[in-house]
Amino acid sequence: MRAGIGLRARHLDEIVQHAGAVGFLEIHAENYLAGGPALRKVERLRRDHALSVHGVGLSLGSAEGLDATHLARVAALVERLQPAFVSEHLAWSRVGGTYLNDLLPLPYTEESLGVVTRNVERLQMALRRPVMIENPASYLAFVHSTIPEPEFLAALATRTGCELLCDINNIYVSAENLGFEPGGYLEALPAVAIGEFHLAGHARKDVDGETVLIDDHGSLICEAVWTLYRDAVARLGSRPTLVEWDTGVPELDVLLGEASRADREASRAMQA
Amino acid sequence: MKTTQLMLVSAIASLVAAPAMAQQKTESEKCYGIVKAGKNDCQTATSSCAGTSKTDGQKDAWIAVPKGTCEKIVGASTTPKK
Amino acid sequence: MSAPGLSALQEAFRTQLLSGEVPELSSVAGGRIPAAARLRIHRHHVLASLTAALAATFSTVEAVVGPEFFAAMAGAFVMKAPPAQPVLSEYGADFPAFAAAWPEASGLPYLADVARLDWALNLAYGAPQVPALRLEDLAAVPPHELPGLPVSLNPGVAIITSAYPIDRIWVLSHRPEEAGDDPVALDSGAVRLLVFPRADDAAFVALDAFEAALAASLLEGKALGEAFEAAAAAWPDADPRAALGRLLAVGALGLRAEMVTDP
Repeated sequence: MRAGIGLRARHLDEIVQHAGAVGFLEIHAENYLAGGPALRKVERLRRDHALSVHGVGLSLGSAEGLDATHLARVAALVERLQPAFVSEHLAWSRVGGTYLNDLLPLPYTEESLGVVTRNVERLQMALRRPVMIENPASYLAFVHSTIPEPEFLAALATRTGCELLCDINNIYVSAENLGFEPGGYLEALPAVAIGEFHLAGHARKDVDGETVLIDDHGSLICEAVWTLYRDAVARLGSRPTLVEWDTGVPELDVLLGEASRADREASRAMQA
Repeated sequence: MKTTQLMLVSAIASLVAAPAMAQQKTESEKCYGIVKAGKNDCQTATSSCAGTSKTDGQKDAWIAVPKGTCEKIVGASTTPKK
Repeated sequence: MSAPGLSALQEAFRTQLLSGEVPELSSVAGGRIPAAARLRIHRHHVLASLTAALAATFSTVEAVVGPEFFAAMAGAFVMKAPPAQPVLSEYGADFPAFAAAWPEASGLPYLADVARLDWALNLAYGAPQVPALRLEDLAAVPPHELPGLPVSLNPGVAIITSAYPIDRIWVLSHRPEEAGDDPVALDSGAVRLLVFPRADDAAFVALDAFEAALAASLLEGKALGEAFEAAAAAWPDADPRAALGRLLAVGALGLRAEMVTDP
């Protein structure tokens, strides 16, 4: 499967003219739960394109469990669109009925692993299919974490039968922000569980005189992330790959160009 | 009730007879549309959002003054009242 | 100190992200970047992303007050009433009431009405598509059944009334090239706007007093005849034919579910 792109509102009409230009299209589930013209357009696009439904609000890391209403709405959307892939994040955003609209970090402990396992099982039960769980972009870690992130994800995949969505940019961003070696992270991921790669750009920001990478999906994929992508493909094998762009979304051609480059980089890595 | 029925029947009949009249008033007037963009694209990205301002939400530290199209709306103060 | 349980940790995060203070969580690792600065990245994201979502929904309010003032207003709203669910196009139902009560905006008495128009357009945009009642449908109804016909406003259709010219404020904010150079006078008269969904967007038109009374009566659940009688009692000189034609033309009318039968 050739690389896909994240489908954003400004490209909805134009992409109809480009059937076959991309391997697949990914939508954010929460943008389409309220119905409206955008959902009707995606239903038409669905005829010519493989779809990926990417949740951003299920809050799989919430200790209080999943929001039953939201879960049912996502399940209904998945039922309606019958996408090729369904994915969510290893993160949380909901506590005490408040939704914080951020992919917040989890401490990697046995307790958290139990919570996420229960929530992923409940999600997969509601959807009646396995999902992919994405590694987060991290800005902080917890002193009481006891399990390295790739091992936490591997254990989650073993316990729930879920696949993993390996976001290469997130690994790079987290490695810079938290100070670990991205190669070692890739090494620790279970190759058999990886179902998809994500690629995106990030921003460099100054925080109190220190550089922090922000996962803003707002620029071209940087060379270091392309290098890490080739490493990942060489080590884990090629997988459906998606290019995301959310901040200052450019012309469609720019995204199509990034998706083509992902295809070329993957072939190059496989031949090496 | 009978008067109302007659009024409705006659209104519908005259609209059927002259469908253009039914449309006329609406089309000669402005009808404004608005399209909404996806609002849930910001979770995965820290977006324009990127940044780490120390003054987030500390609105007491400063009072913003409205500076938009309100400057072309007359008959009310644009100065926030304290 | 023992490590916090996940529930307690998530509660602590909520308190920090939504309060004005950003104290350090002892369980957050610092290192090259202090823990407080790391937390601030998340705090900024929560506020900025929700502000952006509110700005997309209340785009006229944002244009009226400008982005800086809007951000202050949205930030205060987010801390007072954060979303309870993740679909951001459904966040902000209470923002018009907040705009009415927020002291900093008291110099802009029309702002809450502008926010109500933005919210109604937002709801209309997400409304399910239903077949609109057509003139042919009405013409096919036996005359004696017409007065009792349970005609309703379709999903997403709303009437927004204001003592201020919020339609002109909307044009000034979104179509400045059509607004001309003259300022909008707030005392130029009350408006009644009909907001409704269309195939690819949501829209509004200005109604006259009779049309607005008719639409409001239908919205209350009055049958077609009763609704016309109520509107005519208030505005005896109005042309009922034009009013009916107008509501039909924008696809605002439908039949209440209990009356819809298979064709």
